[in-house]
Amino acid sequence: MAQLILGQLLNGAIVGTLYGIIALGVSLTFGITGIVNFALGVFMMLGAYAAWYLTDTLHAPYPLAVAGAVALVAAAGWIADQLLFRFTRNDLVNGLLVSIGLIAALEGTALLAWTSTPKEMHHILPGVFFALGLVVPKMKLTVFAILLVAIALTQLALTRTWMGRAAYAYAQNAEAAQLMGVHTGRLQTGVMVYSTALAGFGGALYASLYSLEPTLGSLYVLKAVEAAILAGIGSIAGALVGGIILGVTEGVGSIYLPLAFRDAYGLIFLVAVLLFKPSGLFGGRR
Amino acid sequence: MGMRRSAALIAAAALAALPAGGAVAQEVVKIGQIEAQTGPLATYGWMGYQGVKMAVDEINRAGGFTVAGKKYRLEQISPDTRANPQEALIQLKQLLENDKVRFVFGPFLTNVFNGIEPYATQNNGKFLLMGGATAMHGMLGKPNHDYLLRTWNWDAGQSGFGQLLVDYLKKQGAKKVAMLFQNDAFGKVAVDIYSPIFKQAGIELQVELFEPGTKDFSAPLAKLGAGKPDYLFPGYTDAVLYDIVRQATETGLFSRFFLVRGSLAPGLKNKEAIDDYIAYLPKYFEEAEKKEPKVKAFVAAYKAFFKTSDFPYDQAPLCSSSCYDHVYMLVEAMKRAGTVDDVAKIKKELMSMTYSGLWNIRYDSTGEAVFDFDVVHMKKGGVVTATHVQPK
Amino acid sequence: MRTLAWAVVAALFALLPLAVHSDVVLTVLVFACLQGMLAASFNLIFGFTGQLSMFHAAAFGIAAYATHLSMEHLQVSFWIGTLLAACLVAVLSLIVGSICFRFRLREFYFAVVTLAFSEMARLLILNWNSVTNGSLGINLQEKPTVWWPGAGVVKLDGTVPWYYVALAGLALTLLVCHRLVHSWMGRCFAAIRLNDALGDALGINVFRYKLAAFMVGSVIAAVTGSLYAYYLGSIEPGFLSVDQSLAIVAMVLLGGRRSVAAPVFGAFLLTALPHVIHFPAEVRSIVYGAILIATILLLPRGIYGTVSAVLRRG
Repeated sequence: MAQLILGQLLNGAIVGTLYGIIALGVSLTFGITGIVNFALGVFMMLGAYAAWYLTDTLHAPYPLAVAGAVALVAAAGWIADQLLFRFTRNDLVNGLLVSIGLIAALEGTALLAWTSTPKEMHHILPGVFFALGLVVPKMKLTVFAILLVAIALTQLALTRTWMGRAAYAYAQNAEAAQLMGVHTGRLQTGVMVYSTALAGFGGALYASLYSLEPTLGSLYVLKAVEAAILAGIGSIAGALVGGIILGVTEGVGSIYLPLAFRDAYGLIFLVAVLLFKPSGLFGGRR
Repeated sequence: MGMRRSAALIAAAALAALPAGGAVAQEVVKIGQIEAQTGPLATYGWMGYQGVKMAVDEINRAGGFTVAGKKYRLEQISPDTRANPQEALIQLKQLLENDKVRFVFGPFLTNVFNGIEPYATQNNGKFLLMGGATAMHGMLGKPNHDYLLRTWNWDAGQSGFGQLLVDYLKKQGAKKVAMLFQNDAFGKVAVDIYSPIFKQAGIELQVELFEPGTKDFSAPLAKLGAGKPDYLFPGYTDAVLYDIVRQATETGLFSRFFLVRGSLAPGLKNKEAIDDYIAYLPKYFEEAEKKEPKVKAFVAAYKAFFKTSDFPYDQAPLCSSSCYDHVYMLVEAMKRAGTVDDVAKIKKELMSMTYSGLWNIRYDSTGEAVFDFDVVHMKKGGVVTATHVQPK
Repeated sequence: MRTLAWAVVAALFALLPLAVHSDVVLTVLVFACLQGMLAASFNLIFGFTGQLSMFHAAAFGIAAYATHLSMEHLQVSFWIGTLLAACLVAVLSLIVGSICFRFRLREFYFAVVTLAFSEMARLLILNWNSVTNGSLGINLQEKPTVWWPGAGVVKLDGTVPWYYVALAGLALTLLVCHRLVHSWMGRCFAAIRLNDALGDALGINVFRYKLAAFMVGSVIAAVTGSLYAYYLGSIEPGFLSVDQSLAIVAMVLLGGRRSVAAPVFGAFLLTALPHVIHFPAEVRSIVYGAILIATILLLPRGIYGTVSAVLRRG
């Protein structure tokens, strides 16, 4: 039994970081542009398909494929921002609805391009690690490490770089930040692009672990939003922790309770948290 | 004299100018298809659409077909239900009332079938519905359901392949099986069908159902693995099989798999980690292509028709239901019945014939399809043996 | 003037079956009316009090199951069954609403919490096989009956009778929404929509009015669910899915949020369009997405809203 729980704790943490990186994108987008970008799920999907295509069809080495995927998705994110999201700043409802439209359009395009037949990338790093009687696939652990690094780097960027601190300042007090010379428009576009890049990055890594289909993003973005809210919008480390909590709750919950309700456990936890601390576990600024 | 001769010449010239068989436009027999072409379970609808398209085109290019002295060609009408019963109902009404269609292929999805069933039953006698939905099984033979034919074979029952597969499994020495299925219509039915079969065979069965859309199976696999089963019996679409088989082999707790749906591909992808991968396949196309001329021709024709060098080996087995063969079988039945309109007569012919195309298909007394299939056994390293089974 | 125009529209719709004999068209209209009821009642919560409720589809689906179950186990008629289902949904929405509004959850959190409840309800229905038959859904054999002068008790069977039922349902829904919005309650809604705090400052019991709108909207959705299930002849857990909720949002968006009738226009459009324009499946998703985006960016008041604004100006 202990083995089972330990295994699910670890797996939950790993799965949670994938939720976490999207949650990070969700959190950043909400903090700076005032909308919840559900379309991050399709950007994740595009990143996954791009990585798969680059690796399996064009035979690029995987790291290069990931970089390529991120670049492509970031570009797509920039286009989406210029054409669509630029007009829905701070408009939660419209932003939500534009996201829905974008999701339908991009999923349809993916379906057209690749059909609903699942695609699977060739296994990049086959094999497993043994530790403490637990079995962890090597690639999964690698992805875990990479995601943690990415999130840590984001945290660093936000606190050390000028752009990052400008973002923080803006999130705190938009007017003051503007008066201090922060170019709002560029900042918002930058955050948009960065969060779609994060989603694409998550997707590219996802592709090395699971099979692909055009609707893969919808589950993840929902979990990501849950995680972001759980943690509290605006907290970077919080997005990661929120994701991990969600992943672990689902995994451990499924051991004791019926598996069929797996999605509910995270939701119940979320509702409970929101009722007692609406700003989330780590939130407090907004 | 000169006038009459000219007249005769003109008449002769006019007669000669008439087209040989008479200038009658070919009449059309329409085949409707209501399937989900988008969405998570779209693979079935997709393959059905591809197969029917090919068959219709082939028959038309060959000049159509003749029934009771008249020439006909086919037309395919395939709206996308998006797995939504409301859409499907309106589409079926359009097919029957606006397009005057008498033959409808599909649906594969149970929720869609449930939505159209009342209307279909009201129109009993006006058309034939030939689909693979699980829920159809219970409706066959009920009063006012003469319109119904189920084109997918049933796991249980006399001609069912489930029993056969479990027997095969028992011979491999299986004592305990872990079943991991989607919590949806077919998943539920699969548990209901296979539980008694396994029980009778004296094999212990542990069941876990997961929410459709799941990608990470760590928890259920850990749970099932704790029971140390001999075989894993995983869900029924490739979309989940790729992930389940991969993750299962990674845990090290599972090296033997037993499938009643899905393709060989997930097994091949993980062939070094798998000891046994036993699957029911309507047809193991990779081998059938080499052994059966009709299959070889079909594969070549598919590539030419859809202008691709890739043949969908994984999805092609799904063409055993409401697909290519069924178009030809229908045309044959129309010919034998001598009518394209009298659906009762046509159904009678369908029920009394065995059609040999890619598959040998016949309908049992309730109207459910029985066709030949392959039991495929892959061993470690990817060596595949296929046993062809022709049910009685 | 307005009332006369509406009376004419109502009369036209009522007389439609005499001129139109196509079962297909009438079926589309039945569904359009029912979706219209969903859209209008959703807008009561969304457009008028500014709350994005993801509970609407759940109310719709739960009521369908509840009606069937009460007819089966309590041997009541369809109408009593629907009443019971509506009461159940009223209680559920009271609970959910109280939790959300009492804790002053902001707009977006409200959406997430209602989504959470909706998903939990769906999972419960999906897995409670003994009661709901789970993923296989339920085939409804019984038909509702009405007492008709001259004919006695008749079964509601066939498209034309259902057309009138759906039309009546829609008319009733619009009437209820209209009265509510134009009452003093409605003015409170408007204040709340604009600014919660302002509403509070004006002495409006924000909580009570948000809850009222939420409950009324959800109850109408419940009645719609009952009608829809018995018209279609089957129920499935998919009635409560997120997709269903989003479809309702899209209808309101397309039609418009600021008037009572606007969402109905969106409902009619989205119900009929797939059957008028035939696109290959994947292309349809793309077109749908494009329409949605275009409407939001170019016509923020929705199609109906923009048209009526233009007409009013001109």
